[in-house]
Amino acid sequence: MPAELSRATVLEALKTVAGPDGRGNLVDLGLVSEVVLANRKVYFSISVPAERAAKLEPLRLAAEAAVKKIGGVDSVSAVLTAERSQGAPAAKPVAGGAAARPAARNAQIVVPGVKYIVAVASGKGGVGKSTTAVNLALGFQAIGRKVGLLDADIYGPSVPRLLGLSGKPQILQGRTIKPMTGYGLAVMSMGFLVDEGTPVIWRGPMVISALTQMLKDVAWGNLDVLVVDMPPGTGDVQITMAQQVPLAGAVIVSTPQDLALIDARKGLAMFQQVSVPVLGFVENMSYFICPSCGTRSDIFSHGGARHDAERLGVPFLGEIPLHMEIREKSDLGTPIVAAAPDSPHSAIYRDVATRCWAALEGGTTGAKAAPRIVIE
Amino acid sequence: MSDSGKDIWPTEIKLAAGKRALTIAFDDGTSFEIPAELLRVMSPSAEVQGHSPEQRVTVGNKRNVGIRDVRAIGNYAVQIVFDDGHDTGFYRWAYLHDLGRHESDHWQRYLDDLAAKGLVRG
Repeated sequence: MPAELSRATVLEALKTVAGPDGRGNLVDLGLVSEVVLANRKVYFSISVPAERAAKLEPLRLAAEAAVKKIGGVDSVSAVLTAERSQGAPAAKPVAGGAAARPAARNAQIVVPGVKYIVAVASGKGGVGKSTTAVNLALGFQAIGRKVGLLDADIYGPSVPRLLGLSGKPQILQGRTIKPMTGYGLAVMSMGFLVDEGTPVIWRGPMVISALTQMLKDVAWGNLDVLVVDMPPGTGDVQITMAQQVPLAGAVIVSTPQDLALIDARKGLAMFQQVSVPVLGFVENMSYFICPSCGTRSDIFSHGGARHDAERLGVPFLGEIPLHMEIREKSDLGTPIVAAAPDSPHSAIYRDVATRCWAALEGGTTGAKAAPRIVIE
Repeated sequence: MSDSGKDIWPTEIKLAAGKRALTIAFDDGTSFEIPAELLRVMSPSAEVQGHSPEQRVTVGNKRNVGIRDVRAIGNYAVQIVFDDGHDTGFYRWAYLHDLGRHESDHWQRYLDDLAAKGLVRG
C-alpha cells in the first residue's frame, strides 16, 4: 500500500523508473539532482543531455507518475535539467577579435561563471522587496543551487542588515573584490563600502559606475543564480541592468494594495519593453493572521497581485503573509528561510524559488537569444 | 511568458563590407537589406525624432553615410554608429522590421520631406 511521503520514499519510487537509455534507474544513474518536499508537493529535477531534452518528455512524465503513487502527495513537478556543459548566455566568455562575434560584443557587462541573473524588482519602495530578495536567494540555496546576492540599491542598501553582515570585503589581487558570505550566499552591497548611517549622495553616472563594478569586479565564482535586489522605480540602475546585463528574468514584488500595484505594473511594462522575461509576481504582506485571536485581516487588501498577474498574463509565484516573525527575523539579520527553515513561511519562499528555477531551466520564460551581429 | 516572446525577433544582423547597408534576418523567415542612408535619416534618436511628431527633424545630405559599428543594447535593440558621428539611436527589433517591410513607404516620405523643406540627399 502507498508508502509515506519522504525524501527516501520519493527516491525509492524513482528507482522504478528506467534511465534515458532504458538501462538502470534514475537514482542509481545519479540523474536525480534534488528532491524538494513542500506542503505535500514534490519537486525534483532530472539531469539529461541538453540535445536530448526535447525527446525525453515521456521520461519526465513516467518519473512524475511514479512519485504520484506515494501516499500524501498533492502534486509532483519534475523538471528536466540540461547538463551544464551547454552553458547559458550569461556564462559564456566574451570572444574577442573574431569577425562574427556574439551579440555581447560591446559594453555589455559579462559576469563569468554565473548561469542566471535574476532581478527582484518592485515599482514602489517599502513593499518588502529586499526581504523577498534575501529569502528568495536562500530559497534557491535550499533547493540545492549555488547562489549570490547583489544589492543594487546604491542609495538604500538593506542587504547587510538583513543578513547580519558588517565589515569591509577583502580586496583580492588587482582590483577584484571578494564577496562577503552570509548564510552560504556570496553577497555584495554598497552597504559594505559605506557606514550604515552615511548617505550616498550621488548623481546617476556615479551610481552606474558603482553598479558596474559590483557586477564586473567582484569574484562571484561559479553560481547557478545571482539574485539582484533592485532599487525601487524605473531609473538609472534599471536602465543599466536592462541594457548592459544579460538578465535571465525578473521577479516583481508588490503588496496587494492598489497604490503599490500601479507601480508594479510599470515595473512589468519596463521589463517587457526591454525584452527581459518576467518570471512572475510575488504578493508580499498578502494577509495578516492575528497571533492572539487568529482572525485574518487583509490589511493591504488581498489577491491584488494574483489578479493582476492573471490579467497581465504573467505567472503568479506566491503570496507571503504579513507576519511578525518574518519582520523580526529580517531586522535581526537572521532571515527566516535560514533561521526557521521548517516554518510555513520558509516553505513559501522555497516554493517561489522552485517555480523560478523551473521556469529558468525549463526554457519557459519566453527568453530569446539576442541576434548575431556580423560585421564583415 | 512575457509579450516580448511573441514579438518579431531578428536572428542575424549583418553589416556588409561596404558599410552601406544592414542585412537583417527575422525569425518569421523575412530578411531585409536596409540602406545606411534610410537608417540614418529615420534614426529613432530624439535628435531626429524630437519629443513629438512636430519636432521631427528632416536630415539632408546623407546619401553617402556609412555605418561604422553596430552594438547590442541588452536583448531588445541595437545601437548603430554612423560615420558622420551620429550614434544616439537605439533601434528596436519591431522598428527595424517596420523599416524593412515598408521600406518604399519610408523612402517616399523621406524624399517628400526633403523636397518640402528644400533639402537634398547630397
